[in-house]
Amino acid sequence: MLVLTRRRGEGVTIGPDIQVIVLGTKGGQVRLGIEAPKTVEVHRDEVYARIQDENRLAARTQAVPLEAFKRLMPAKRRHVHEDHP
Amino acid sequence: MKCQSTRFGSFEVKDESVLTFPAGLLGFHEQSRYVILDHDTEAPFKWLQSVDEPGLAFVIMDPAQFTNEYSVQLTPEALAEVKASETDALSFAVILTVPSEDPAAVTANLRGPLAINPRTRLGKQLVLTDTYPTRHPLFPPAVSQPHTPLEAAACP
Repeated sequence: MLVLTRRRGEGVTIGPDIQVIVLGTKGGQVRLGIEAPKTVEVHRDEVYARIQDENRLAARTQAVPLEAFKRLMPAKRRHVHEDHP
Repeated sequence: MKCQSTRFGSFEVKDESVLTFPAGLLGFHEQSRYVILDHDTEAPFKWLQSVDEPGLAFVIMDPAQFTNEYSVQLTPEALAEVKASETDALSFAVILTVPSEDPAAVTANLRGPLAINPRTRLGKQLVLTDTYPTRHPLFPPAVSQPHTPLEAAACP
């Protein structure tokens, strides 16, 4: 991992069009300003990681017992007709 | 083309039924091509099976089947990623997590829904704000759990 020391107001440039600036520090927290093209998604790590973890967990499903759904789906369940791929 | 699946065996897939998630799914960036399989005509859910990785599949469901209060807005950038035109009606799916020890406790990931453009066959997993849960119980606990016997009232 590249480690750089920056002061308030200083930043780093990543690639041609991403800039991260340290706006300030307060009580152990660092405020960052991020300039990136809109096509680059920027998320807090934990939001991203949470979905990633849930995807990994969901991918472990081997089979779905249909009776669990049949028993629990309300009788008035709509039948959605979708365009089948 | 032939598709191999550890869960469903080997089957034929038409090229035009392949969905491409250019960025993959979160945690699975290297797999971008999937096919949707109907698990059962009665079942409200479907399987999203990777075309290239036989062991990779997700159970997905149309969120409209269990909630009316879920609307997802795509950013212009996300719309561009699935090459959506103004007339394209996108379809949405959420990934279900089915605990093997208690399948009735199935949850839906409302924070990371899949947006699919049926016309271009491009898809994208969105990242919504944390006001949406990653584990939304599909069935209300009152229904999914058997009634617990009444405990003897402890009279003073």
